[in-house]
Amino acid sequence: MLWADYGGGYSTTSYGAQGGAGGGGFMGGSQGGSQGAAGKGTYGKDTLRPVTIKQVLDAQQPHPDAEFKIDDVEITQVSFVGQIRNISTQTTNITYKLDDGTGTIEVKQWIDADATMDTASDPTTSKPKLVENEWARVWGRLKAFNNKRHVGAHVIRPIADKMEITYHLLEATYVHLYFIKGPLDQIKVEGGGAAGEIGYGGGGDTGTSGAKFPNVSAAAKKVFQTLKDSPQNNEGLHVQNVAALVSMNVADVRKAGDELLSHSLIFTTVDDDTWAPLEF
Amino acid sequence: MASEATPRVNAKYLDSFTNQTVRILGKVVSLRGETATIDANGSINLHLNRDAHLQLNNAAEVVGKVQQDLSIKVFQATDFGSNIDFNAVEAVIDATHRYKEIFYDGND
Repeated sequence: MLWADYGGGYSTTSYGAQGGAGGGGFMGGSQGGSQGAAGKGTYGKDTLRPVTIKQVLDAQQPHPDAEFKIDDVEITQVSFVGQIRNISTQTTNITYKLDDGTGTIEVKQWIDADATMDTASDPTTSKPKLVENEWARVWGRLKAFNNKRHVGAHVIRPIADKMEITYHLLEATYVHLYFIKGPLDQIKVEGGGAAGEIGYGGGGDTGTSGAKFPNVSAAAKKVFQTLKDSPQNNEGLHVQNVAALVSMNVADVRKAGDELLSHSLIFTTVDDDTWAPLEF
Repeated sequence: MASEATPRVNAKYLDSFTNQTVRILGKVVSLRGETATIDANGSINLHLNRDAHLQLNNAAEVVGKVQQDLSIKVFQATDFGSNIDFNAVEAVIDATHRYKEIFYDGND
């Protein structure tokens, strides 16, 4: 009978409790609209992951119809923020073009005819307005259609407190690092020493004080710290710049650099005199 | 995609981003008609467009192109109010360049 067909992870009691629609509701498998369509096999492990738009655009899809993956982990629902670049109202949906500084993606929200009529008849319940150049937060599901990606939004709402953008980007970074480096407490154990350091940045920073740091001269430590603290780009810093920053002469900096190079703590980039720290 | 990203930077990063479009969140410290100065870990001169409505002493986020003299030609500016924690903003900038794989395509 019907219950048995569903088998697997779903007990009849939980179905009965949540559905309340009777057996007929499960026929044809179309129950629940968008939830049902995309939910095959992932119902029990649905996630809601904070992401940047670049992560959405870079998400891998092993084969069409498969769930997308970010950092090799399947995603189902995602949440992100973005500045509204364009709003285009169609007959069946509203398409927003969102830009969070990492990329741009289209977000579609289907128009619920009943809900529209409700708000029209009662202006006091009308939602806050989404306007161009203002920021919005989206909860939704990544879709691919004709090789073009968009996000089907469950909810899109304006962002009132701009700090939400900042905290979202930090949260997305945190979750990204969780998946590529493992849970935070694990990293602290590996890093040893400096327990007070914050977050994943701390994982790298344990360098200078932790036991991992080989015996190098004070000058070398200073140079290393300077390389780490300077704005991060691929090229690192030239000997002359380092000398200016630590107020040492170039010869001493070069000596300190040789020491660090011999311990593989830094590496040369565009030329022999330009260094970047190895622990990024 | 590279052209679409506008990496978040402060004054310290400008010289690595000349001729690129960036995003800067800072505090407006002076307004002189077509130009303005904002503080984002160092002061940055802005050449405003017509419809930029900045407010003195408020935070503002601008998207614009870094010129040779490290001033910014502003394409678009948004007022961010007076309630911004710049320590958190700095943390985002640090994360942007430290873990740029989720923020922008570097030229590497």
